[in-house]
Amino acid sequence: MFNYVFDTIYFASYSNFYGLSNISLSLGDMLFAYIVAIICSIVVALLLRLPLLPSKPYRYSFDVSAIYPTPIIAIGILSIFLVLNYTFMFNGLVLAAVIGVLSALFVKYLFDFVFPTPLDENSGDDMNE
Amino acid sequence: MNEVIGIIIAAVLCWLNFVIVDTYFGLPEQPGVRGARIIGKDVEKRGGDIAGGFFQGNILCSPDASAGTLMASIGYMLLGIPGGIIAAFLVFIGNRLCADPGYAGTTGCLTATAIIFLASFIGLTPEMFIVGMVIAIFTIMGIDQARISVVLGKIAEKFNRHARE
Repeated sequence: MFNYVFDTIYFASYSNFYGLSNISLSLGDMLFAYIVAIICSIVVALLLRLPLLPSKPYRYSFDVSAIYPTPIIAIGILSIFLVLNYTFMFNGLVLAAVIGVLSALFVKYLFDFVFPTPLDENSGDDMNE
Repeated sequence: MNEVIGIIIAAVLCWLNFVIVDTYFGLPEQPGVRGARIIGKDVEKRGGDIAGGFFQGNILCSPDASAGTLMASIGYMLLGIPGGIIAAFLVFIGNRLCADPGYAGTTGCLTATAIIFLASFIGLTPEMFIVGMVIAIFTIMGIDQARISVVLGKIAEKFNRHARE
């Protein structure tokens, strides 16, 4: 079924969705690997007792959660592996699962150390007011 | 597709993408950093709208959906769909370094990748989106800051995201 989807999209598309990269996976396999990475990262993040949603107010919260930014980190790093054409085995599914687990561990234990929360609005030197 | 027509369509799509995503995630509502507040106050002094000024200051001071759309176009041109997702990852890192939670940037990147992928069916190439995004940012920041900030303020009011000051 994925081959059929790939052929349809390939014939309909004017520009190539692989760009200049040399990816050996088909579009369906690539999509499957992304979905596996997203689900793996969210499930492992929930198992590590990260909250599902960031704390309120949602749009200004710096807290990490299972929905954001764990899947973003997972699919970003998986994309780098795909672009380098390193898909370990089973069309990249094992790689996707490992990256999902590692990104959840990174968000839980290392994220605050790498990207510290910025200072409060009221602290720090004030130039204008 | 003819290149000029394609660039115009791509510019309109990019403009709508990043203005809607940025406004939804509350850029006109409050300045994320001190520089954005200074720019907003300055635009208001020159006869503009404070919410539009905050919007312009925020997209100047940290990579939001505007930078996300541009980087997604470049990534898509170079590396295809994975390139757009790598761009989202890089924009997220840049956002966290700029004291910004990064919701607008990553969402704008992913929606821009989806839009470029869908638009490739009607013959729009990623190169057109790069040029179109540069034109779209030029209309926001380059022509008349005070007048475009009034338009941005009206859009912010429609989304219920106007500044509360």
